Amino acid sequence: MKFGIFFELSTPRPFSRANEWAVYHNGLEQCRLADELGFDHVWAVEHHFLEEYSHCSAPEVFLTAVAAQTSRIRVGHGAVVCVPEMNHPIRVAERAAALDIISNGRLELGTARSSTWTELGGFSVNPDDTKKTWDEFCRVLPKMWMQDEFEWQGKAFSMPARNVLPKPLQDPHPPMWVTVTTPGTELDAADRGLGCLGVSAAGYEEQERRTAEYYRRIADCDPVGGVVNEQVHTMNFLYCHEDYRVAREVGVPMVNSFNMANAHLYWTREAYPTQAYQTLGNAGAAMKAKKPPADDPSVIKGLPEGVGVGDPDHLIATIERWESIGVTGINFLLNAMEMVDQAAVLESMRLFATEVMPRFQSADARREPVAAPTTVPAGAGGDQP
Amino acid sequence: MISGTATTTELAVGARTIESFSEESVTLGGVECFQLIAEMRNTAREAVLPPGLHPTVPPALSLQAWNVAESPWGAFSMAIVRVGCRSGARARGFVVGTVVSTETAADGLAGTYGFPSRVGAVNLRHSYDGVDATVALDGTVIAAATGLDPTPMAADDVQYTGSLTLAHTPLGLRLVQVEATHQSTSVERLTARLGTFDGTGWGQRLLDPYFVVSASVARSEVTMPAVRFVCDPDAYAWDGTESVSN
Repeated sequence: MKFGIFFELSTPRPFSRANEWAVYHNGLEQCRLADELGFDHVWAVEHHFLEEYSHCSAPEVFLTAVAAQTSRIRVGHGAVVCVPEMNHPIRVAERAAALDIISNGRLELGTARSSTWTELGGFSVNPDDTKKTWDEFCRVLPKMWMQDEFEWQGKAFSMPARNVLPKPLQDPHPPMWVTVTTPGTELDAADRGLGCLGVSAAGYEEQERRTAEYYRRIADCDPVGGVVNEQVHTMNFLYCHEDYRVAREVGVPMVNSFNMANAHLYWTREAYPTQAYQTLGNAGAAMKAKKPPADDPSVIKGLPEGVGVGDPDHLIATIERWESIGVTGINFLLNAMEMVDQAAVLESMRLFATEVMPRFQSADARREPVAAPTTVPAGAGGDQP
Repeated sequence: MISGTATTTELAVGARTIESFSEESVTLGGVECFQLIAEMRNTAREAVLPPGLHPTVPPALSLQAWNVAESPWGAFSMAIVRVGCRSGARARGFVVGTVVSTETAADGLAGTYGFPSRVGAVNLRHSYDGVDATVALDGTVIAAATGLDPTPMAADDVQYTGSLTLAHTPLGLRLVQVEATHQSTSVERLTARLGTFDGTGWGQRLLDPYFVVSASVARSEVTMPAVRFVCDPDAYAWDGTESVSN
């Protein structure tokens, strides 16, 4: 089981330059501690214009600072929005390769297409096209990293033969992922040999269904790149405290504030009739998740099952359940809207690392550089990093 | 989290009265529904909503024009202007104004669901090459939109969020949850233009639909279930929602 931390860089009103500064620098402090404590991944999203919910519009800059301030934790650029109006694919390949070099080969690259009209409309993106351009990006990025002469005639872009530089340190290229919000996207990930990066909390039953289908499909995948990244990570929340009542008092409002902010986003389906976006929001799975059993002594009232808020014993049991259904990693949101005091966030991370992580990882594993468990498809060139 | 800042009593000018909550649903047959979505500027974000609702970012307005062939109130046409919002976590449209072509239907919609109906002229022309919709009150056009180049879509590709009307009810002045179900047999997406929009004519001068996002037209049967819940317009939904059966 891998453990990551996950940043939206949500910023509460009233907005001020100082508040945004604090959110960014609190996040960097959390990353340094996560590196020290043995967490495996840091992920930062890419969102634009999403007031309060996410002020993380330049994740590659945030992650470059993370890379420079840490030594072993893997750096998750997750996810790059794969529509050309927001990110030209050549620039994605270049920035990712540079970040892989700066981080000494610790980059993970997530891919996504954006779900809100707020973002797509702001960049004049046609919602009908985003799934197509995402697919095109996924297929060209590995080629740009692996080929010395790359040329392309496509829908999202075309280019004559060029050598896209620099090349990433990881050979043949960093592990690639797809963010999964709506059911079915996990199949897109599997078919392409990409990791399944859950970014909306699902209940056990829904996640088990998705995970089983992912593993079944990836066994026969047609990989888009030089490696297959067979991993299922889910998104969760973390607030760990010795006293579950304190965990509840602090953690439940944090979780609820994030979910409420998520529900308040202006989803593409609400604004624009299209076959490309079939759900209104991405909290649906979480909303449908079952409540925990009432006889659980650490039951966290007000939260669905599987949420990482509670005392260490509760978190161990929760993570064991996720592990039992094939989840290979959990990425935790540590705070939302700065609802939790920074000192309490750091203490929660320390307690988690002391009391929970040893049940799932050895002490040696938490000191060593984190490996990327990718595999090279049969017949492909390139060495494992 | 931002919330509406309008004064409820000011919003309630023109609010209609639901004398008692009906327990029957209403079915509207042979419906043509044109919906245009437009973004507004931030001046129309919090200022047009009651404190219990939360605006979308960016603020958005929907203009709907309906031809209804069959209803308990006979055939009629209507136009509705709504401001996109959230009630608690749910996506809703706060109804600012409603113009209905017949007095019978206007009274029926007002008395059953709290729509702030006024009688006026609503013309919705749906043809193979597009849609024209015009809404007039006392001979003055308060909205005119056109939709061109129809593209067929799947029946469930268009989203109709539930409405909230502000009405006097047996429980007091309340936001009334109106959750219509559209069973569509055809849906087309259009390239739309909003030629005229008079916010003052709709009862809210701050409405500013300056950027058209999308438009669609659908043929449907619409079921409007009996009202089940109302909300205190001055309280957040998780505190201020009441069942009408209590």
